Amino acid sequence: MKKSKVKVRICLGTACFVQGGADLLLYNDFVDPAILADCEIEGCSCLDECKVGNGSAPYVSINDKIYSGVNQDMFCKLLAEAVKNA
Amino acid sequence: MNNIFIDIDYAQIFKHGQKIGGDVYLLSKSPEENHIVSTLSDGLGSGVKANVLASLTAHMAHRLSFSPIDLSHSAQIIMDTLPVCKERKISYSTFTIADIRYADDLEKIDVNLVEYDNPPALRFRGAEPVSWERSKTELQREGAFKKEVISHSMFELEIGDRLVTFSDGVTQSGLGKGLPLGWRLDGVRKFIAEEIEKDPDISSRELSRAIVQKAYSLDGLASKDDITCSVIYVRRPRRLLIVTGPPFLKESDEIMGQKIREFDGKKIVSGGTTAQIVSRVFGAKLTLDLSCWSKDVPPASKMEGIDLVTEGMLTLSKVATILEKRINPADLPNDPAKKFVEMLLDSDQVHFLVGTKINEAHQDPNIPVEIGIRRTIIGRLRKALEDIYLKETSQEYL
Ligand code: FES
Repeated sequence: MKKSKVKVRICLGTACFVQGGADLLLYNDFVDPAILADCEIEGCSCLDECKVGNGSAPYVSINDKIYSGVNQDMFCKLLAEAVKNA
Repeated sequence: MNNIFIDIDYAQIFKHGQKIGGDVYLLSKSPEENHIVSTLSDGLGSGVKANVLASLTAHMAHRLSFSPIDLSHSAQIIMDTLPVCKERKISYSTFTIADIRYADDLEKIDVNLVEYDNPPALRFRGAEPVSWERSKTELQREGAFKKEVISHSMFELEIGDRLVTFSDGVTQSGLGKGLPLGWRLDGVRKFIAEEIEKDPDISSRELSRAIVQKAYSLDGLASKDDITCSVIYVRRPRRLLIVTGPPFLKESDEIMGQKIREFDGKKIVSGGTTAQIVSRVFGAKLTLDLSCWSKDVPPASKMEGIDLVTEGMLTLSKVATILEKRINPADLPNDPAKKFVEMLLDSDQVHFLVGTKINEAHQDPNIPVEIGIRRTIIGRLRKALEDIYLKETSQEYL
């Protein structure tokens, strides 16, 4: 059976964009294409996490679970894991 | 804000090899007095000497137009002051003065036109050439071998009308290069009519440029004289609305939506939260456009009914910096700030609808301070638009 794609949303609200969201948007340059093939990545506006204040920007939502303070390395790992478990 | 806009611009190419022109164009606006004076003067010959004479003439014409003396009388004073060339027995410089006065609401625009020895000005209603009566005054000056004729006319300009003035570098272009008599007035008139036909809303900047470029190419790209052309175009103003920031009170969201809906012109929504509010009020879907962003400016979004949706503070401060530094949009990366600037430069009147609710996320000490305060950035934008780009701006808080 064909696996359903991993749903990834990168927050591109102002707070997230300036604190690393912009780096994540370059995902084509640093994530393994094989992994990307199984993901559906989109940008989204402020997830409202930055206003709650637990954790730090940038925030990323993977299959509706929120991760905070995501950098490029962490992004690769999170996607790889999500694809494996899908 | 006025519902009529007077768009004036000019273009100029100097005689081949000259760094300074014998054609001088001057434009002054006195908004307090609802008065614009556009003067084109062509000094005999070219280069420095011609430039000095033409400047002298243009400045005199200007001064006199802003004084209470009537225009024909002013023209006479100029003529009497202008020296007559000893060898050639003709006067040293020519002029066309368009003195434009308008009512406060701009519903009536009166033109007082005085022409001396330049090619006659042309008028168009839409793409149709308009002809009109001119009264002629003859002057015999000491030392001149013939009487000189000043022509004078008065008329009104309406929406869609244009008045085009130019130096003989335009009408005589092409002389001896394929056109035995040059481009001539008829050729110029036909060309302008065709240009307007092709693009009925062509701006004065583009039209004057097109005319000058055409003359230049008829001269085989080595102009034989200074080529100068100015265009005055009366039209509806191009309006732009910029909505930024969530309203202070939640109840005002609807009012904001209403104001956006009713606005007659292009619309930009700047700010993530603001865009979400508009999307909810409009019932329109908001989708991010990941094809258009740069490292300084987050991606734009798309929404039905809004021409451009951008992130807020980063984009706005980038736009302010671009305007202040007068960067040409063509030199910018393809991001939302570029589109934003292009839309601003394409408008005559810019209205800011500013929500005053404070965004908690921006209180974060990790965020660079310069993106902090919406009002400061809007102040910068308005100042740059008014001082550098001569746009009208206005603002309301919600
Ligand atoms: S900007 Fe990303 S959660 Fe608010």
